[in-house]
Amino acid sequence: MIRVIAIARLVLLEMIRRRDVYALMIVLAAMLVALLSLNVFGLGGTAGYVKETGFLAAGLLGWSFAIQTGARQLPREEQSGTLFPLLAKPVSRWELVLGKWLGAWLASCAALAAFALVVLAAVACKGGRTDIATLLQAYLLQITALAAVVALAICFSTRMHADASSTLAYLITGTAFLLTPRIPHLLTVATPGAREALLVLYYLLPHAEWFDLRRRLVHDWGPAPWSAFALVVVYGALWTVAALLAAWAALRRKRFDRGAA
Amino acid sequence: MRAAIEIRELSVTFATRRGSHAALDRLSLTVMPGTICGFLGPNGAGKTTTLHVLLGFIPPTAGSATLLGADVRQSIARERIGYLPENPDLYGFLSGWELLAFAGRLFGLDRATLRQRSRTLLEETGLADDADRRIATYSRGMKQRLGLAQALINDPDLLILDEPTGGLDPLARLDVRRILAGRRAAGKTVFFSSHELSEVESVCDRIAILARGRLVAEGTLAGLVPPGQTLERFFIDSVTDRKGCEV
Repeated sequence: MIRVIAIARLVLLEMIRRRDVYALMIVLAAMLVALLSLNVFGLGGTAGYVKETGFLAAGLLGWSFAIQTGARQLPREEQSGTLFPLLAKPVSRWELVLGKWLGAWLASCAALAAFALVVLAAVACKGGRTDIATLLQAYLLQITALAAVVALAICFSTRMHADASSTLAYLITGTAFLLTPRIPHLLTVATPGAREALLVLYYLLPHAEWFDLRRRLVHDWGPAPWSAFALVVVYGALWTVAALLAAWAALRRKRFDRGAA
Repeated sequence: MRAAIEIRELSVTFATRRGSHAALDRLSLTVMPGTICGFLGPNGAGKTTTLHVLLGFIPPTAGSATLLGADVRQSIARERIGYLPENPDLYGFLSGWELLAFAGRLFGLDRATLRQRSRTLLEETGLADDADRRIATYSRGMKQRLGLAQALINDPDLLILDEPTGGLDPLARLDVRRILAGRRAAGKTVFFSSHELSEVESVCDRIAILARGRLVAEGTLAGLVPPGQTLERFFIDSVTDRKGCEV
């Protein structure tokens, strides 16, 4: 575990020094300032509008940050050659995967918290309030989803370069977010062949929509039942473990032979 | 006595577009503890492949290898070794101190030992004054010396080096030679690949010469190089045929 923590710490340190999070925070803040000053469809003055748009933007930026961070960990280590002195230490491939995932996930959690704080500050500026229990649930579900997203990006990056793996991760998680909630409705109008294909997709793709509590936050519906919350956390954890095991299986026998004859 | 490195009938084959390429062909080699062994060969002979198999980066196609008695496929085999790659690429966002701390943590060193060893190694490699600077600002030679320091952080029983003096100025080369001699005096083993024959002559007890993935000569310098002949001549004769083509 010491080695996993050492690798995770290295990832976090790199994130802090690369300053990606700060740049994204500035983008988010600029976007919110623009929203606060504009009066789109006459909604500019409502805190709910800022909440809805702000939390959506924070979620999207957190999702993008998690994919980019996860996808570049292993390919960049290999490309830059830093992987070789690292693997020459008594670090197993499993510890490498776990350390990279933990570091990238913690960095994503911190980034999401920072983005959420910016949104909360903007909401407070408009005199809006946010239910703490719902906010906590929403944050915990988002970071559970980010754990799976980072694990998927790392899994793809064991066999692809960083750009390809991040594109694939965007595609799969984006499709999951946009398509899976609509599948039950599509099933009612689909032809028999298409219906089976849709059912396969419904069970195969991760249900990203289960991790999204934005509506509860915006409309002040209060927290979701804790039993449902716990089930979704377990579901996210299962996806994470499956993706990490797949990453380890792909990396376990992989050759690293830069410069070898 | 247990060998520091034991390679038995080791073969590595890479798939190519035209079929396959044997990078190593039934290589057998034993390196005993307390020696400095130079690993020589022309470019593409399979030196780096051998080192990469020993370090677990590449699984062998056939044969076996052990480091200090442990199978190279297990991560425990790397507990007591240190490794410096050719042109070490280090984390540019870390300082020299931080890199050594990271390397030490991977070996499970406690804080006091880590601090004391880091200080000694930074002084030995002449980097004590630059230890707080980001590695991205280091010159190539400084990176090479820091790479050597991180390879020594666990006080390894076996040190594996790939072209350790590449990019170093003559004074820094002398420092490296002194460090290697110090390792031998402490009873440790050093196995390094190099193209610098003068370097090899000055520090090695034994040499092994590789050509096209096969071992073509192995032994002490005195035993291999006939009187009146240079190591350079012997090396060229070993890796070429009578027509001067690489064997």
